[in-house]
Amino acid sequence: MVASAICGRGMRRIMARPTLIMPVLLMPLIFVVSFTGAFGSLTRVEGYGTDNVFNWMAVYAAMQGAVFAGVGGASTTAEDIENGFFDRLLLTPGSRVPILVGTMAYSALRSTIPTTGVLLVSALGGLRLPGGPLALVTVYVATAGMASAFCLLGLAVVYRFRTMRSMILIQVCGFSLMFLSTGQVPIHFMNGWLHTVARVNPVTNVLRFARQGFLGDLTWSTTWPGLVALGVMVAVAGSLAAHQLRRLAA
Amino acid sequence: MFPLLLAAVYTHQFTRAILLPGFPAVDSFLDFVLPASLVQSVSFGATEAGTELARDIENGFFDRLRASPCTRLPLLLGRLGGAVVVAAVKGVLIIAIFLLFGAEIAGGPAAAVVLVAAAVLLVIAIGGLGQMLAIFTGSQEAVNATFPLVFTSIFMSSAFFPTNLMSGWFREVAEANPVTWIIDPVRRLILEGWSWADVGQALVVPLVISVATVTMAVVALNRKLGSS
Repeated sequence: MVASAICGRGMRRIMARPTLIMPVLLMPLIFVVSFTGAFGSLTRVEGYGTDNVFNWMAVYAAMQGAVFAGVGGASTTAEDIENGFFDRLLLTPGSRVPILVGTMAYSALRSTIPTTGVLLVSALGGLRLPGGPLALVTVYVATAGMASAFCLLGLAVVYRFRTMRSMILIQVCGFSLMFLSTGQVPIHFMNGWLHTVARVNPVTNVLRFARQGFLGDLTWSTTWPGLVALGVMVAVAGSLAAHQLRRLAA
Repeated sequence: MFPLLLAAVYTHQFTRAILLPGFPAVDSFLDFVLPASLVQSVSFGATEAGTELARDIENGFFDRLRASPCTRLPLLLGRLGGAVVVAAVKGVLIIAIFLLFGAEIAGGPAAAVVLVAAAVLLVIAIGGLGQMLAIFTGSQEAVNATFPLVFTSIFMSSAFFPTNLMSGWFREVAEANPVTWIIDPVRRLILEGWSWADVGQALVVPLVISVATVTMAVVALNRKLGSS
């Protein structure tokens, strides 16, 4: 009940002030237009994986939007801490877990907005679905998972530092993780330290899972590493957030 | 840090892309991306002058400033002066870091000076635009909203990929983008060597834009002070 109230409050804020969603929606759209336009000729390099640059870049832009949505969810909590509302929330009886779950759910729901925006714009640019409608399922699952993970990570930071300014740490982290992955090119295009970093970066597996339906058929061997990566990211971030919330509430 | 991270990532992910027919002859993407990194780095702080002016307008400090017995132009140029110094320092640092990692400037030290000068003029251009917005709106939020515009205009140019490898409407936009008119001659100075024509274009384009935006900011300031 607490979780659904927090989630509902967040969504009502967006409906009451639609301009709140503009940054989360605008940047991924800028990414998908800019990257497909600037790097479209990459599809001519042998081994790229597709002849349609939207099929590669759309998922990357959507996941970047999901990261912003997750950070935005945690930012809402930062505002609540700064204006004192969070202290009232801590007075609710029972476990603190619903507070985390509600904020995480709000972020996951919020991530559908940039994801849908990017897919619509990409469809206008010629996006195809070789894997069929299931391709859309994987990208929405991936973006919801990324938004949840980065929301929880953001909550861990904001519970620790109790200020909106601390969100810049998560924004930089999210941005960097996305760039240090197979966001724009396949891993066999990379060399040196970047190849090593991208190989161990969990976002690479999530991108592979989310993108598979846009490059060909969906397979279990491409799906399970992505789901495991998402699960581990959410679990680790959730543990950190829960630990910091217990400290804050004590 | 972000422009340097981007340059580092792109250098290691576009090693096959530089072999595309039509891509300028480079040993490494690092040489290609140097002007883009510099432009990106200085652009990110270029709106500070406008943001600070907006903050002063919001909190009333600006009204006290204009009561002081000085001409109005220094109220704008003072802030831009700070941004220029920061941009010059950033420019020198970025070039030094690129050289450390193996980039080469065919046009020599003189070309490096032109690169920094072009970046400084670009900062004045963006700073003037930010100040004009600050005077019109009196809002920090409105000035900060120019950041996506600056970010987008850099990506929708020849900053990270040559325009001859783009297609459709995006290529037309990139070729008409003034950022391209600045980056292309600077890049030729880096990759091909010294050329007075390229020096002229690299400096004149941002100079014209900066004169235009600063003039518009001064006109806006005079109108605001005249009407209040």
